[in-house]
Order: sequence, then C-alpha cells, then structure tokens
Amino acid sequence: MTIRLFASLFVNGVTMGMIYAMIAMGLILLIKAVGVLNFAQGDLLMIGAYITCAFATDLSMPLYAMLPTAFVSFALLGVAFMLGTYWPLRKASYPVAPIIATMGASLVLSEGAVILFGSWPRTMPNLVKNAAGKVATFNLFGTKIQYQYILIILAACLAMYLVYMLFERSYVGRMMQAAAQDKPAAELIGISTLFTTGATYMLVVVLIGFAGYMVAPIYTVTPSLSSLQLRAFAGTVIGGFGSIKGAILGCLLVGLTEAFATVSFSSYKDAVVFTVLILFLLLRPQGIVKSRIGDKA
Amino acid sequence: MKQKFGISRVLAILAVALFAAGVSLIQSNYTVLVINTSLMYAIVAYGLSVMLGMGGQLVFSGTAFMGIGAYITANLCSGRLGFSTATPVALLISVAGAGLVAFLTGMLFLRLKSSFCTFATLGFVQVLYSLFQNHEPAFGGTKGIPNISTLKLFGHPVTGYKQWFYVFLFAVVLVALVVEGIRRSRLGRSLASIRDNEIAAQVMGVNIYWTRVIAFVVAGLFAGLAGSLLAFQNGFISADLFTFKKSSTLVIMSMLGGINSTLGIAVGALIVTFLPEVMRGLDNYLMFLYGFVVIFMMIFMPMGIGGLVSDYARKLRRRRRLGGGKNA
Repeated sequence: MTIRLFASLFVNGVTMGMIYAMIAMGLILLIKAVGVLNFAQGDLLMIGAYITCAFATDLSMPLYAMLPTAFVSFALLGVAFMLGTYWPLRKASYPVAPIIATMGASLVLSEGAVILFGSWPRTMPNLVKNAAGKVATFNLFGTKIQYQYILIILAACLAMYLVYMLFERSYVGRMMQAAAQDKPAAELIGISTLFTTGATYMLVVVLIGFAGYMVAPIYTVTPSLSSLQLRAFAGTVIGGFGSIKGAILGCLLVGLTEAFATVSFSSYKDAVVFTVLILFLLLRPQGIVKSRIGDKA
Repeated sequence: MKQKFGISRVLAILAVALFAAGVSLIQSNYTVLVINTSLMYAIVAYGLSVMLGMGGQLVFSGTAFMGIGAYITANLCSGRLGFSTATPVALLISVAGAGLVAFLTGMLFLRLKSSFCTFATLGFVQVLYSLFQNHEPAFGGTKGIPNISTLKLFGHPVTGYKQWFYVFLFAVVLVALVVEGIRRSRLGRSLASIRDNEIAAQVMGVNIYWTRVIAFVVAGLFAGLAGSLLAFQNGFISADLFTFKKSSTLVIMSMLGGINSTLGIAVGALIVTFLPEVMRGLDNYLMFLYGFVVIFMMIFMPMGIGGLVSDYARKLRRRRRLGGGKNA
C-alpha cells in the first residue's frame, strides 16, 4: 500500500468515523437519559441534511442566518420527535413499544422528506471553496484531499466537545443525568423530567442535524443517507454501549475499517464492518470502554 | 375454561376455512400472489412471536434465516451446482440448514443481553445481505439465482399461485399450531418467565441461556421454511428480498397483529403486505401515513389487533358473567 493511498483512506476513514460518532453520541445520550433505542437516528441526520440544503440553496440564506435558523428548527424537530415517540409511551407496559415507535417515526421522516423535498437527489454546495468557486483541496503525500473532510473532523470534534461539556459539566447537564439515573428521585428534588427529556431530545437532534449538514457536501442529499445509522450502531456497540468516549473510538474504528476494506474487498465492506461488530460482541461484549451505568433499553 | 378454548378453536377453524374459500374465488393471479407473500411473512413473524412475544427479546434475524433457507433451496434445485436434489428433500435440508445456522449463531448471540443481542442480529443480517449480494459462486451475486424448479409433493408438482396458496396456508396453519403448542408447553412458560422476570425465572430453575437458544432455533426453522417455500414458488431469488428493511417490516407486522396473538400475527402480515398494493394510488403518502399508524398503535394498543380483540373478549365475558349473576 503506497503512502498516497494510505493517506487518502485514512482521512476518509476518520471523516466518516466522526460522522458516525456524532450519530452514536446522540444515540447514547438518548439511551442514557431516556432509555430509548432510537431507530430514526439516521433519518434525523437525513432531515438535517435536507433542511440545511433547502435553507442554503432554495432560500439562498447566507451562512450566518442559515445556521441559527437551522439549529432552531432542529431543536423544534427534537421536541416534536419527543412528543410523538417518547412522551405518550413513557409508561408503556411493553418495553419494546417506544423502540417500535421510533421505527414508525423513521418511516414518517424518510417518506415525509420525499414528499416535501422530492425524491431526486440534491447536491449541497461546497462549504469550502477556492478562489475559482470550485472545491478547495490540498495535497497530502501526493493525494488531493478536500478541505471539507478536514472541516468535518474539526467541526465534529468541536460539536461533540460542546455537547459533552454541556452534559457532563453544566448544571442543566447534571439535571439531565440525575433524571436519567433515577427518575422518581430526580422528580422529588424538583427536577422536571419533561424539561430534561425535552432538552436531551433537542440537544440530540441539533447534534445530528449538524452532522447531516456536515456530511451533505461529500454525499448527495437523498433519503438513503439514513443508512449511515447502521454503521453508527456498530460503532456504538464496539465502543461499549453507553460510553461516549468508547462510542467515538468505536465509530472511528468502524470508519477506518470501512475505508481500508474498500481496497481489498470493496463490495464486502459492509460484511467486514459488521463482522468486526459481531467479533467484538462475542469477545468483548462490554466494549472498548466499559460504562458505569448498565444497559437500560 | 375448557369450553372457552373450544369456542375460540372453532372460531379459528371457521376463520381459516372462510379465508381459504374466499381466496379460492379470487380470479386475479396477482392478488393470490400477494396473499401468498403475506402468508410467507406470517411464518417468519411467528418465529419473532416466539422470540419477542414470549421471550421478550427483539431480534432482526428473521430475513437472514429466510435467506439461508431460500439460498440452500436455490442451490439444490436449480442445477447450478451440477446436480438437483428431489424437491421435498431440498425443503427439509433447507429448513434443517437454517435451523443449524440458527443454533450455531444463537449459541453466540444469546450470550448477549437485550439491546446487545438486538444489535448482533442486526449485524448478522447486514453481513449475510452483503454476502448474498456479492458472493457469486454460492449466492449468484447481484444477478440472483434463477430457474429453481418447483416443489413436487407426492409426485405432483405445485404450479400456479392458487396451488401455492394451499401449500402456504397449510404451512401457516402448521406453524401456528406449533406456536400454540409452544405457548402451552414448558418452553413457552419458561420463555414467558424470562421475559417477565429473569432473576425469578433463574430461581425457579429455568436455564435462561438454553431456553433462549431453543427459541432462537425455532424462529430460525420457521424462517428457513418460509424462505425455502418462497424460492420454490418464485423460481428466482436475489439478495434484495433479505434486507434489514424487510426485517423491520416483519417486526412492525407482528406488532400490528399482536405479538402474542397467533391469529393476530397472520392478520397483521396480511394487512401490512396488502396495504401498499391496495392503496397504490396514495404512493408516497401511504408509507408516510403508515409510519404514523405504527406510532399511534404503539401508543394506544401496544399489544396489537390481537391484544385489542382479546381485551374486548375478556370485557364481554365479564359483562356476561355479571349480567348472568343478576338474572339468577
């Protein structure tokens, strides 16, 4: 393997790994805070890509107006998503019911996107352009690499750092964790579970919507973007269910495995990724990083 | 108590007979094909009913084992390996093969608990789909496997969708009876105890691991049977029949019908397979609305149509008993 090929595959793997990590982080926040396995995670990302794409191209909003509007709409979507799939079901007698509800929501979101935005693929204009208005690239060991990839890696790090700090360090984050660990006790000391769950859902959808915005320029914007979630699931499990650090490591591993698998077995790259997942499940079911709170979903 | 079972059994037999009579009157070949497809899915969904309904473990492996059954049949009966097996033998081998793979993978996957196990089966479906789609020598690659000869039962080849309908109906009834048997057997009660309280089950002497493995094998056998019959009926199979999406449709149809209701699951499979055909005009809106229906259903009737009916029946029975008391 030449260093050129290696560099390009490595950057590609890390970039996709970061995207998966953002999906995975949202997934874990939901599992930890509300105990729901969300099967609409990928569809929320897809909606994020569509919304930002529509704002940027159809309404041709400038970046400084587009991002806040997009974030507000993601937050509203998050609240709507919670009110639809979680709140009425929080006392469901059947524990699988909220999971199935997210599967229904996944259908609603993907078909809703087709109805609203049409089924033809859209292209997102590149975020980083050179003077000629084309995709900006730079040389790394002789391969051209788009700046977009580097932007994704940096932005994902920043976004995940902010969410992590918000969740682990801020007062609101402490409230969310308290509510996640013991609902009745949290209610007793005056934490409103409705508020903390709503905040968690908002945070998660904003994060995933942002991931959709980031990934849109290197993919085309189609409903099939939602399939990214399966690989994020794999990364989550590899990392250790419930641990955010572990999930990020796991997702990077999945991204790199996928990127390097394209060299020798391109059509089997899914098989390789999920074989790694199954191996991990069997050999180290607690994941790379063991979480302190058990699996609740 | 005994008499009540009698009534519901008579009702079930009547429903099946009416259904068979109704279908035999249908002229359109296509409609019969859709019904056959839904019956095929019902067989797989019964496997899920054993795993999820009785055992409380969500698995996505249904389509994977369907695929294994279908591809074994396809390889044995299309002559692409240079020989053809007698079709009933191939059917048995396919079912046994799916069961064997289910046993081996089940021993691995069911060491894991709840969500981990769900994800493992999800990964398994993805791995198999990718193999089905890409491995040319064993699975025909993207082109699939054509020219599968049809099933020959007692020297009589099953041809035409109507004849296939009876085969599928027989298979569904058979599988449904097995499920009912399991529900009332030691296995079913052990599974229910694991679902309701694992620690209590263990204290009562239930071997959690093996009980779940056996349930997984049962689900695998059902799925293998469905896949094999599908391959025989269509004469052609390809990887896109065995995707993760199909697996989640299976979960939805069994939840819609009522995960613990044997008759309900068949109804759920019929509804979910038929809706897109009946409402073709609605197109995109159909799946959109369908998603809402799934959510609302989880909110208002998580035990599905079957659960709703049995709740109503219980209420009716209680009212009758109370009313009888007043008269006397």
